[in-house]
Amino acid sequence: MASLSTSLLTAVQALVADTGALQVTNNNIANASTPGYSRQLAIFQEATPTNDGSSSVGNGVVLEGYQSVRDELVQTQIQQETQAQSGANAQLASLQQIQPTFTTSTQDIGTEMSAMFSSLSSLSTNPTSASAGEAVLTAGQNLATAFNTASNTLTSQQAGLNTQVTQDVSQINQLTQQIAALNPQIAELKATGQDGGTVQDQQNQLVLSLSALTSVAVTQTDSGVTLTTGSGTALVVGSQSFALQSTTGSDGMQHVLDQNGADITASLTTGSLPSGDLGGTIQMRDETIPGLLTQLDTLANQFGTAFNAVQASGTDQSGAAGTAFFKFPPTVPSAAPPVNGSAASITMAITDPSQIASSSDGSGGANGNLAKFGQLQTTAFVSGQTPGDAYANLVYQVGSLTSNATAESGATTSSLLQLNNQLSSVSGVSIDEESTNLITFQTAYEAAARVVTTVQTLFQITMTMGTAAAE
Amino acid sequence: MRVTNMVPDIQYAMQQSQTALSAALQQVSTGLRVNQPSDDPAAAAKMVVSLAASANVDQYTSNISSVLPQMQTADSAISSVVTSLNSALTAGTSGATGTESAANRQVLATQVASDLTSVIAEANTSFQGAYVFGGSASSTPPFVAASTSYTSAQGTVASPLTFATPLTAGSVTSISDATTGDTMTFTAAAGDTIATLQAKISSAVSAGTLAAGTSATIDAAGHLSIATNTSTAGIVVSSNDAAFGSMAATPGTQVANAYAYVGNSNQNWVQVGDSMNVATNVPGNQLFTSGTNAIASLNGLITALQSGTSAQIGAAATAVSTALNAVSQQRVPLDNTISQLNDQESYLGQDTVTLTTQQTALVGVNIADAATNLSQAELTNSAVLAAAAKVLPQTLLDFLK
Repeated sequence: MASLSTSLLTAVQALVADTGALQVTNNNIANASTPGYSRQLAIFQEATPTNDGSSSVGNGVVLEGYQSVRDELVQTQIQQETQAQSGANAQLASLQQIQPTFTTSTQDIGTEMSAMFSSLSSLSTNPTSASAGEAVLTAGQNLATAFNTASNTLTSQQAGLNTQVTQDVSQINQLTQQIAALNPQIAELKATGQDGGTVQDQQNQLVLSLSALTSVAVTQTDSGVTLTTGSGTALVVGSQSFALQSTTGSDGMQHVLDQNGADITASLTTGSLPSGDLGGTIQMRDETIPGLLTQLDTLANQFGTAFNAVQASGTDQSGAAGTAFFKFPPTVPSAAPPVNGSAASITMAITDPSQIASSSDGSGGANGNLAKFGQLQTTAFVSGQTPGDAYANLVYQVGSLTSNATAESGATTSSLLQLNNQLSSVSGVSIDEESTNLITFQTAYEAAARVVTTVQTLFQITMTMGTAAAE
Repeated sequence: MRVTNMVPDIQYAMQQSQTALSAALQQVSTGLRVNQPSDDPAAAAKMVVSLAASANVDQYTSNISSVLPQMQTADSAISSVVTSLNSALTAGTSGATGTESAANRQVLATQVASDLTSVIAEANTSFQGAYVFGGSASSTPPFVAASTSYTSAQGTVASPLTFATPLTAGSVTSISDATTGDTMTFTAAAGDTIATLQAKISSAVSAGTLAAGTSATIDAAGHLSIATNTSTAGIVVSSNDAAFGSMAATPGTQVANAYAYVGNSNQNWVQVGDSMNVATNVPGNQLFTSGTNAIASLNGLITALQSGTSAQIGAAATAVSTALNAVSQQRVPLDNTISQLNDQESYLGQDTVTLTTQQTALVGVNIADAATNLSQAELTNSAVLAAAAKVLPQTLLDFLK
């Protein structure tokens, strides 16, 4: 049977529930801009009603607890997209620094190569001209410098990326340590049927940061989250994290080792797209840049070798057989130079215009051999291509790689925006919504407080009922 | 869908519109659609090839500018030679007349000698330090006064050179003959001796390269002597063989009005188009000495005027006339090449326009399109910013005050 005391109790429970809801609303508003925060809801439930024979009377509301609103699927998709974005961005950042070297300018290899052939053609109009000969030497020196500069750009990028690998590994280890440390707290909360709440948000945010660094596979278990790399190397299991190591390999590059000391560097770049900053960095360092360097070295090497061969087939101003035009230290100029490092080391071997083997008949005034130099421009001696086409191909590749990385970065950014919007529609805090909640719970609190006042008045009336009758 | 926060969308939209604005601005300011290879990798690669083609065309044009004056100098020299030969021919024709006195013939001989001097001066014309009629041996004058005898530096009475004296392998000895206008060049091989050189000279005499009577002997002083027994012509000998040292004309043996060609017959070719090479020189022997020897014909005319009969003078004048025709004929290809070069220069000008058009199509931007794109991008950017300004500040709280 209903009583004033029961009503008072119901009102007090309502005050408690509304206070809790106001606190949740307050917290949501406070964390509206906190990265990774999932909005919370106060879970209200009807109190068990009192059965009074044939009727049943409600006993108000009970605040069951608080629940964070999450979408694990979208969260996972965001992690994966973040991996792809970071991988593309790592490559893009590096390629954007490489690209200017291969952009047409006054000093790029293509321009210098043209200038080289032009200077030789110019010399052919007056083979004994010292100034035209000097122009050939200058053009040769400029071309060698252009090769050196392009090679240095690539190798210094590679060195920078190598340092990045060490930094990435160090950050990965810090993050996995922090993630593992949160696992017991989440497991404990879940064991008591509670929501992971703030701790879960923190862990999700750390996993997202980890996704930006490397490919991670996420599995939710009773003891918290289990993390492995894309290729299956354990990173976090329960409260334990497994640190990766970076060490200098026989190639002079930093290699990534798992907790057992096994080299997992190659596995970090497997797949069509590199994952995370580490994957993108390693792919640039170990595949893209070496590929470009090999082509550049081949071009420099075969160009220099072909020039030396033509030079040897003619005679210089003194009638002597031409000596090597270019050299590739530390090997002697006449030896077949190794391809690797050719672009970095190519230099001029002759220093005097009279050493240019212009002549094909032994007379200083003949220009027959200069025509042979000119023919190199249209001869396919660089891996089946003319030197100009070989360089154009290199430009195409650099452009294409940069363009693809730009497109991939743009696509993942757009995709991440959609996914974040999707997650935000579930977990995000809406200030307008919280404002209305604030009004709702404030009103409810005021109404419940009014009930308390009313019951109090009724109690007073009840207490003075006898006295009033006596008077 | 529940929308909680529009800031990321607005930021993304602003970023996108600003990127588009920046790209449109760059296209307008540079006039280029492709500013870096990633803007259009295929166009950037084609551009590398096209720019190389442009550089070649520029160089061909520059080559034409360089060789044209040289060829014009040669042409002008030949023109003067033709004038001199005509003058000599007139003198010869006049001298061949039976009524001409001996004294007048001497005067005419002097006039022809003067014409010969002019011809030699023109034949030794140089352009920017290079002798234009020397073939590829353009660093020294191609026509040199000939002597009947040359003597080696090496060899003494006590230690004379012999026919068994070995030669230095690879050394080159050349004998240029004023009569034939040809040159015998002998490169010594290992095991060769002066006897080998002597045999080579005999062969050259038999072949007609050298005039009859040319031989190599060891003189009384132990020197190698290369001489000819023709008193009206002579030879020029040069050698770099250390075995007998340099060869010098024997004093007092220089022949008046005799000149030998010491250049070579090689032509220099210069590229003036992707598939067009032109010979930029006419070797002096081809022009003045081979076949009909213009210089020897003048020498012959002088000799005939000085001491010959009318018939001999007439024959010498005919020889000059033949030589005149030959020189005029040799001039034709040179003139053709000069005309060809002028045509090629115009063609290259058009080629440059074609390549520039191709390059503009590859990487350039249509300014009208670029300007439209820019104003479109400005409009879009303004719209995004205006929308952001309207949407961002609006919350329910504004209306709850």
